[in-house]
Amino acid sequence: MSESKPIIHMSNLMMRYQTGKVALSGINMEIPQGSFVYLIGESGAGKSTLLKMMYGGLRPTSGQLEVQDMAIRGASERQIRELRQRTGIIFQGNRLLKPRTVFENVALPLRVQGWNAERLLPRVKKVLSFVGLEDRLWSYPETLSGGEQQRVAIARAMLSNPTLILADEPTGNLDDDTARHVLDLLMALNKLGTTVIMATHDLHLLTSHPGLVVQLHQGALVTGQKHEQS
Amino acid sequence: MSKANPSASSKQLEAHKSSMRLPGGWQLPPFGVHQVLAVAIVAVALWSVSLVWLALQGGEQWVGSWQEQVKVHVYVDEQYKDNVNALLESLQDVDGVEDVRQVSLEEARDWMEKWLGGGGLDAGNFTKHLPTSLEVTLAEPKVDTVLDDIRDAAVSQSGEVNEDELQLVQAGDVLGTIRSLAWFATLVLALAMALIVSNTLRMILLARADEVHLMRLMGAKEWFVRLPFILEGLLLGGGAGFVAWLLVWPLIWFTSDWQMNLGIDLSGWSLFLPLLLGGALVGGLGAIIATANIVSPETES
Repeated sequence: MSESKPIIHMSNLMMRYQTGKVALSGINMEIPQGSFVYLIGESGAGKSTLLKMMYGGLRPTSGQLEVQDMAIRGASERQIRELRQRTGIIFQGNRLLKPRTVFENVALPLRVQGWNAERLLPRVKKVLSFVGLEDRLWSYPETLSGGEQQRVAIARAMLSNPTLILADEPTGNLDDDTARHVLDLLMALNKLGTTVIMATHDLHLLTSHPGLVVQLHQGALVTGQKHEQS
Repeated sequence: MSKANPSASSKQLEAHKSSMRLPGGWQLPPFGVHQVLAVAIVAVALWSVSLVWLALQGGEQWVGSWQEQVKVHVYVDEQYKDNVNALLESLQDVDGVEDVRQVSLEEARDWMEKWLGGGGLDAGNFTKHLPTSLEVTLAEPKVDTVLDDIRDAAVSQSGEVNEDELQLVQAGDVLGTIRSLAWFATLVLALAMALIVSNTLRMILLARADEVHLMRLMGAKEWFVRLPFILEGLLLGGGAGFVAWLLVWPLIWFTSDWQMNLGIDLSGWSLFLPLLLGGALVGGLGAIIATANIVSPETES
């Protein structure tokens, strides 16, 4: 796809669940560092499975998957933990903790690395400022709109300054304008050098926000092409 | 138009900082109704265990208050004094007897003086009328039949055993059995208490499964995820131990007259550390049971 160093390398990647269902089969692909990748395909095509494998949530049944120079298949629990600390994840449905404040939610990735509140506060304020929610530091997620909640999820994913952000349907339940705004933020992060891989159904976003498009169909790779802004 | 007050804003920030509850690590989970109930149940269980040990303490003091070491005395009246040597030999031959000695007249007089309390009475005059006394020391561990054998030997030589002392020896044996039962009851209740704490923590864990899962997905170490629950278990158990200890005192105060009559002095302080540490131990055990297998999706290998 590109001549720059790949951040993700897949070779004959296969994933079969214990039920016998083959979720991914024969995937060969390289994702260059600093790229913005759309992962598209119908429901059940394997997008979420592929994303989960990229942060070590699932291990390949066969083949190779290297993420940030780490082979996922044989990685130890400690290596997977280290990989996750270098990876920002935006989950489907944002998965914010409802009983906790925006600060406590956003602080989580560095909190698990042992940071205390004093150290966290300026960092959290900075990322919330980036997503335009610095005034909602002590609010609870339920008092925020869907778009604001998704921006909090983005702030959480970028807090530890990761080299890779994985986003699973981050615009799934948002209206077009809010979805564009969320995508603007991810694009801005990408321009700062972060590799962004985003699974999405919203194909119309591709026209306004260019990026590499990886299409999956029934667990197999269909295309990998660059989509330019129209 | 109003101006932002930096001092008020700073105070607000401090208030938020003090109330924030960052997950994981040394931060305790919030204290709710489940925890209060667990403390109450475990405290009552610990209190009942402490009552058993308090009763045992009283029993041991009552037995021990008669003599430092229980010894059995055999008396021979003046008319049978020729039998004394034969009786002494018979008693020495009894299995389970360590030593037998004849109490001298001087010793008997001293004892009599102490007993009379220096009331101006002539102890020597009383001592003349005392029977010959043999002091039998029992060997450890005690032989089951030794008391019956001593009684038989005494009767065969027209002697008489001090039956009160025999009863004290038997009371000591009963206390030993009660002590074993107290340990058994303590262990069973400790296991039950650990399961109560474990159950409470499982409920809290279920309520916070999302948080645990997220922390793992963000690369948290297992000890970081589990530590708050272990700390909570220790705190619940220790807190329950403290409450149980407080509940012991009214009982000690209400029975103070009864204690005085029996010559015992129950000590609540001796139960403080056992209850506090024991409570924390069962709480910690419950937490370990609860957190032994916290499975999150995508964390199973």
